Amino acid sequence: MTPALETRWFDPTRLNILVGVLLFTAFLVINLFRARGRRELYVRPIAGLKALDEAIGRATEMGRSVLYVPGLSDMTEVGTFAAITILYRLAQRVAEMGCDIDVPCYDPVVMTVLDGAVREAYSKVGKPDAFRPGCVHYVSAQQMAYVAAVNGYMLRERPAANIYMGSFYAESLLLAETGAMTGAIQIAGTDKVTQLPFFVCACDYTLLGEELFAASAYLGKEPIQLATIIAQDWAKALAAAAVVTALALAALGHNALMAWLGAA
Amino acid sequence: MAALYFIPHYQAQAANSKLVQWTLIVYAFALILGSISLWSSHARKVQNRAEGWGFSLVTLTSLAAITLLGIWKGVGEGTPVGIIYDNINSPLASTMFALLAFVIASAAFRAFRARSVEATLLLITAIVMMVGRVSIGPLISPHLPAITEWLLDVPNLAAKRAIALGVGLGAVSTALKIILGIEQSYLGRS
Repeated sequence: MTPALETRWFDPTRLNILVGVLLFTAFLVINLFRARGRRELYVRPIAGLKALDEAIGRATEMGRSVLYVPGLSDMTEVGTFAAITILYRLAQRVAEMGCDIDVPCYDPVVMTVLDGAVREAYSKVGKPDAFRPGCVHYVSAQQMAYVAAVNGYMLRERPAANIYMGSFYAESLLLAETGAMTGAIQIAGTDKVTQLPFFVCACDYTLLGEELFAASAYLGKEPIQLATIIAQDWAKALAAAAVVTALALAALGHNALMAWLGAA
Repeated sequence: MAALYFIPHYQAQAANSKLVQWTLIVYAFALILGSISLWSSHARKVQNRAEGWGFSLVTLTSLAAITLLGIWKGVGEGTPVGIIYDNINSPLASTMFALLAFVIASAAFRAFRARSVEATLLLITAIVMMVGRVSIGPLISPHLPAITEWLLDVPNLAAKRAIALGVGLGAVSTALKIILGIEQSYLGRS
């Protein structure tokens, strides 16, 4: 017997997610309007991002390169998009300071996108000729082969700064520990909670979770970009309030909100 | 595709599957670009006799050999490519993975130095965790296993969930920035 075909046009079990996304979109739109016409919006300093300039400056002074590792995920991961947007901002600073950058890639689609972003970054600061073709290059789509190649590069070329941004898995500590052995300044950021302790142990600065997604806006300093961080904070406050309210109601014997949030 | 997440209708899901199949086609073409990139970057190193050019020569030879063998004899179990994969590639990958045990030890040594109040707390927690999770733990104190469980289930889980909540919101924020065209650097645009 063939199974019945699904004919519903909406899955009611995902209503909570839809409401969350719509509320977030509303927060974003409100803050985008608020940001228009304003020159500056305050965002708390993030040590890891402030250290990026220091890392590039150090590499320039030492005459060595900056190594940027964009994670081991493909374009379906939001962490990869964050890695691309951060590299775009970082490559502008690298081009301004006249330093060299090397970006080994795990995924060929990501490599193509990163290559375009770095080229554009060099053009934006008026130094398109300084772009070195091949600085964004493909290595391997195999996890451990990628690690071996990047670790070999670190030990041979001794980059002055290693920057790891994006989605990482078991390779995080293998990369970061080798980088620490070379004496490079290391800055990492990942959305993978299980890999954060490894980066915290082996790197000088670590962007924790959401800071990875805020990094591009933080580095860009444009009010419209910064407005998205404020929308993120509003959503976080709402989520915290919803959790506390659901817990209080559950303690009083009312589990409806807890169940609707998907926690019961 | 974001909307299709909320629509279970079979026609919508069929369209979703088709879109996913298209990404495979894009990936296949991108893999050609990746191979060209790999070849040109290593060929440049060999040509310039850069440091470690011998490794680049091994990479180029391996790339050419595997490609030719794959085209000539096919891929899969029992083929030359399959034999090379099972007997060279897999053991090399396992060796790299095994190094993790040593780097964990060296990273732990660095992290567990009591330089500040926070680092001291981390050191004490780590010692309790390590002792409480091995057989000797209950012999030292019958409360140790329960303490380790509490550490994992309460402070550890609370911190993990807080970070996960931030990650989730950050991911939605990034996705909306891309959908609304606020962020276009991934397209090579300002």
